[in-house]
Amino acid sequence: MILLEMMRFGKMTRPIFVEMLFVAALLSKGAVVTAAPVDFVKDIQPVLEKKCLSCHNPNSVKGDIDLSTAELVLDPEAELVIPGKAMASDLYLVSTPEEPGEKPYMPEEGDPLTDKEAELLQRWIDKGAEWPEGIVLREASEADKSWWAYQELPDEEAFSVVLANPDTHPIDAFIEAKLEAEGLEMNSPAERRDLIRRATYDLTGLPPTPEEVETFVASDDPKAYDKLIDRLLASPHYGERWGRHWLDVVRFGESRGYERNQIIDNLWPFRDYVIESINDDKPFDEFIREHLAGDVFGSGNPDVEIGSAFLVAGAYDDVRNQDVDQASQIRANTLDEIINATSQAFLGMTVSCARCHDHKFDPIAQTDYYQLYATFAGVRHGERVLATTKDKQEVAALTKPLTARKTELEKQERSIHAEATRRSEARKEEFEQAWHRPVVDRTGTVETFAPVEAKFVRLISEARDDNPNIASGFRIDEFEVWSSGENTENVALQSKGAKATGAARVIEDFPGAYGAHHAIDGKTGERFMSTATDLTIELAEPTRIEKVIFSSAKGESNPEHRKFIFVADYRIEVSRDGETWKEVAHGRDRKPVHDKHRNVRYRIAGLTPQDGGELASIRAELAKVSREFAALPALPSVWVGNRNADDAKGPFHLFIGGSPARKGDPVVPASLSTLSETAPTYELPVDAPESERRLELADWIASSENPLALRVLANRLWHYHFGTGIVDTPNDFGYMGGRPTHPELLDYLAIRLRENDWKLKDMHRLIMTSQVYQQASTWREKAAKVDGDSRLLWRFPPRRLSAEEIRDTILTVSGKLDKTMGGPGFRLFHFMQDNVCTYEPLDEHGPETYRRAVYHQNARASVVDLMTEFDQPDCTFSAPERAETTTPLQALTLMNHDFTMDMAEALAAGISEASHDPAGQVLEAYRILYQRAPEPEEVDKVKAAIDDLGLVSVARALLNSSELIFLD
Amino acid sequence: MNSPFDTTRRRFLGNVTTGLMGVGLTQLMTREGFGSVATSRGPHFPGKAKRVLQIFCPGAASHMDLWEHKPMLEKMHGQPLPGEEDMVSFQGKNGPLMKSPWPFAPAGESGKMISTMLPNMAEHVDDIAFFHAMQSKTNTHGPGCVFVNTGHATEGFPSAGAWTSYALGSLTDNLPTYVAIPDIRGEPPNGKANWSNGFLPARHQAITMAAHQPIRNIERPSGVSMQKEKGTRELLNFLNERHAAERAAETDLRARIGAYELAAKMQMSAPEVSDFASESPHIHKLYGTDSGNELKAAYARNCLLSRRLLERGVRYVNLYCSSRASGVDGLLNWDAHKTLKADYERHCPIFDQPTAALLTDLKQLGLLEDTLVLWTSEFGRMPTRQEGTAGRDHNPDGFTLWMMGAGVKGGVSYGATDEFGRRAEDKPTTVWDYYATVMHLLGLDFKKLSFYHNGIDQRLTDVHGKVIKQVLA
Repeated sequence: MILLEMMRFGKMTRPIFVEMLFVAALLSKGAVVTAAPVDFVKDIQPVLEKKCLSCHNPNSVKGDIDLSTAELVLDPEAELVIPGKAMASDLYLVSTPEEPGEKPYMPEEGDPLTDKEAELLQRWIDKGAEWPEGIVLREASEADKSWWAYQELPDEEAFSVVLANPDTHPIDAFIEAKLEAEGLEMNSPAERRDLIRRATYDLTGLPPTPEEVETFVASDDPKAYDKLIDRLLASPHYGERWGRHWLDVVRFGESRGYERNQIIDNLWPFRDYVIESINDDKPFDEFIREHLAGDVFGSGNPDVEIGSAFLVAGAYDDVRNQDVDQASQIRANTLDEIINATSQAFLGMTVSCARCHDHKFDPIAQTDYYQLYATFAGVRHGERVLATTKDKQEVAALTKPLTARKTELEKQERSIHAEATRRSEARKEEFEQAWHRPVVDRTGTVETFAPVEAKFVRLISEARDDNPNIASGFRIDEFEVWSSGENTENVALQSKGAKATGAARVIEDFPGAYGAHHAIDGKTGERFMSTATDLTIELAEPTRIEKVIFSSAKGESNPEHRKFIFVADYRIEVSRDGETWKEVAHGRDRKPVHDKHRNVRYRIAGLTPQDGGELASIRAELAKVSREFAALPALPSVWVGNRNADDAKGPFHLFIGGSPARKGDPVVPASLSTLSETAPTYELPVDAPESERRLELADWIASSENPLALRVLANRLWHYHFGTGIVDTPNDFGYMGGRPTHPELLDYLAIRLRENDWKLKDMHRLIMTSQVYQQASTWREKAAKVDGDSRLLWRFPPRRLSAEEIRDTILTVSGKLDKTMGGPGFRLFHFMQDNVCTYEPLDEHGPETYRRAVYHQNARASVVDLMTEFDQPDCTFSAPERAETTTPLQALTLMNHDFTMDMAEALAAGISEASHDPAGQVLEAYRILYQRAPEPEEVDKVKAAIDDLGLVSVARALLNSSELIFLD
Repeated sequence: MNSPFDTTRRRFLGNVTTGLMGVGLTQLMTREGFGSVATSRGPHFPGKAKRVLQIFCPGAASHMDLWEHKPMLEKMHGQPLPGEEDMVSFQGKNGPLMKSPWPFAPAGESGKMISTMLPNMAEHVDDIAFFHAMQSKTNTHGPGCVFVNTGHATEGFPSAGAWTSYALGSLTDNLPTYVAIPDIRGEPPNGKANWSNGFLPARHQAITMAAHQPIRNIERPSGVSMQKEKGTRELLNFLNERHAAERAAETDLRARIGAYELAAKMQMSAPEVSDFASESPHIHKLYGTDSGNELKAAYARNCLLSRRLLERGVRYVNLYCSSRASGVDGLLNWDAHKTLKADYERHCPIFDQPTAALLTDLKQLGLLEDTLVLWTSEFGRMPTRQEGTAGRDHNPDGFTLWMMGAGVKGGVSYGATDEFGRRAEDKPTTVWDYYATVMHLLGLDFKKLSFYHNGIDQRLTDVHGKVIKQVLA
């Protein structure tokens, strides 16, 4: 393998120039050549890894060159490195400039070798290019294991200086230290009204009641604020608010995504589990463990097992694929989704970036990725029964006798059938003679009969040609009815005024796709697809007819395909009035389509009248058993996924370039090497049980000795309280993520969290009792010039409410909020399914939708007006933060959607009930919506508007007002 | 440790969105997600194209039955595909080679061979640059559509239209920047993910509308008189102005007032754009809005709507011709697994005349000068028949996309599949190359246009792509 012909040219000119340079260097230094020996590991490896490997590694072999191993680099054929001859070695030549100051040929992107590095490379080659055995080069990431986020948490004493003053709230001490360093200071405390609104929304996602605000504002109890926090933390709405945050993080969505996007109706128990766990202040390490392995250590306990639904709460592609390579790629994508969600949610790591190659920025090796792949390999999306062992046993005890009865009845039925078939054996020849006409023909079956006057003609299916036991579901692309007489013509045509009816498969958003009219449209290609057993044609006028021709695959070259399922046994009937019918033809004297059809005919022909009676009673009994089955208490089936031992069977390999078809080195389930120097490690044998792999990972992530999970969680808390985290990329604590504004505070919070057994409620108390949380949001020009985004928190950052808060607030102030917790969600879309699923936003929202938005069934890729427009994420990926956009569409929806009008009417009704005169109504409106008294100018304006426009229009304006959806 | 004032590049643009070229008022009204502002929006250099019309034929429209002539299929019809006699693809086993049911004929001065099923489109071949050697990563419709729209086969990424909206902003205050026009038969495979904003701010998602479906919530509620509407807006303005005045530094409050003004403008303009009464009978006839084929007429109206939107400054129109995989494949879209002839004799007449009319119309109005037209489908089809059928299975290894208009050299065929149409052979081209070229025509450097998400600066072209210079005028 030769590098590049153009470099050959370089080879001839280069030595002279390099020698000159070398001499020049010697002269300038005025030194004798005392070159120290070159150490490959110290001097060469890091340079190649940093500057060459990103394009020349086993995963990315640009120009067909891979520099990862000695064999490849020192391959004499390749002439990359010829030991002893740097000036003949392509590697050296392409990475040093041809003329001084020029850009060398390589690397294409990034910095070229420094003079020192070039000199070392040259010497290394010239001295024989020694490459210690077993060393494999890997691309170096930007950050290594000494990256801040991976370091152990310090002891609390580390903060003794900052926290020297016991009278200062510890959080304020950290914040003030930074502010002071920039010559800044905090705002004064917020107004009491602003504070209670802030705290109430923050912890419950709902507005405080006017009474709560009035009481709090008027209170002189020094403990009033502490009591407020206690009350809010005790409220079940706290779990709804903070549960929603967590559902964003774990990309919780209630449809499968991708092409079919099937809705998932039984994942809501996971949503309830999240809300309840947070309300119960469940230690978060336990919570994380349940997410990854609740089904392992909580087996038989649905309350714990449900946590592991986390694994399958993401989108995946469930379209079947016969192409083996594509199928394994899809499976790899599914596991990638789980790896991605896990590493981001709990560790703030982007492990998925190491799927195709070592992570470019963080010290995450490709092997780390595939260790997680091996860990999750047994996880399959889907549902299964989730019940206590006791419940399962009880239901099994009830099911057993019913199953036995069913088996017995079916046995009796089979025996009667067998006897009937045996009886027919003797008459086989007789039957075959009777069945003398040709079999039905999908491309055109003709029935001729004595001319008869008819207004109606119908085809009744008695059996389908692919299954003698089913009559419905046949297809007809054309049904012709021919008149008798000289000018015979097909009168069953829409164009001649005929009409066709028959129950057909329906596509809601494209009516008529399979309708009966296709049978008389004079065209083939599209066909009627029945869902019952008949097709009826009404002619334009009574006509003497003598022939029908019908088909499901007219003109098709491969009529046997399933697409053209046809009738096998049938009859043709005519009528003048559509009420009394006369049979004019049938297919019972045709040869059977298949042996299975023949056998059914034998069986039916062999039945005696007594058999008929017995069969009827058996069927009645079977129907009764079915009803009893249906009446049994059903064990809930929940979308927690299944664990498949076959899938989990090793050995596992890393996939070169991320392609399952290219297996690389073997891997085993193990902890991430990223944290190998600061957290415990583990490695499992390749045949470790699937359950153990996830349990080990869970224990490792949620270990109090693992600094990363604690830091990431502490940062999320801060993020949700202040709008921006101490690290402003809560899912990415790596090189590409943000740097902590207050690293010590972050560590302090992580330590407190650990001390606190990973419980959140006390952490909220800690954060919310700080001055920094309680300060006003007032903007100050001077401070803003220094720190425009208030990342140092010289003011409390004001915010817009989230989509859920906006909807919940509108419902609350209109007096319509239904606070029922838990259970199946409601829908703001209309769900349609025709192979794939379609979600159409609803124009009208009934009272069943008046629950808190966290209970909305959030299907993926469904756009639901207010929710989508106010930045509710789709949750295809983990959503660690909400955007706050302002768009004209928000205005259109909030002004014009029926929901606003319904709420405006309810709000107006509430206000007018409280007060009859417009002035009183203004006071009441301000009290309900903003929990404050209006100023005189506001009274005048709004009062006048009530007079002019009426209360409903005023309510519509108030519901659109910024004050309702922005918090100071 | 870095100082918090070491403004990372992500945060940088958060404060200075006003200085960029081509940024409309709507651009100013956002407070993007924290920590999520890209390195560079654009334009990076003057582009030939100002706006884009992307026509999408979902279901994998067959390259060898529409755009790329394969005489070898006629010669070897009924014989096995050499070297892949036992091929198993998406739906299963494949039978022998199958010729196209219709002949191809030379068209235009270039003599480009094109299916006789597309007589009207044939008139435009001299303006089209065909990419005959396209390759996809997936053989499944949903991921395939998403791939061709977003450059990623997994869900959750922004579509090309969203990137364009993000990079270049709007050309008008009266209409949305990015419009998706679904077919009357329903949404394409993977539905709304095809025009998603992904991780870009919500305002970059397409607004869906069609001749048969107005923009949602565009009309004032029934029962609200014009006078009440006016009074309500006036009161709202009073409330919001007062609230904003007390918080003068909060730009999003000011932006919100602007958003209501824009919404009102849109409310005025949107009905006009969908009102075709002002179009001459000649134009209606040209497009086929009067066709007795209701599906064709519906698509024709959407073609006409597309032109009206582009004319009025919509930046990116994503127009669909056909919809998803229904219970019977090939019925609602171009997914002709079993009965290719019957299926395409249904789809081609819907597509051909209205699309050709739209191109003719754009040309005669001079709009093609700065409008880039893309024709896309998620992948192609196999040269073989599926075993036991008269249709073709999915083929991601070679297929055709094309483009024309602003900055594109016409009458060009770039690359080719092998003699059967099975695989890209000459100049294999990725979806990333295609979009690198699109971005280039819009004045965007596809390597610079990025947005931080999920650990890296994401791009429409992932970490791939090259501009195909051979198709540039």
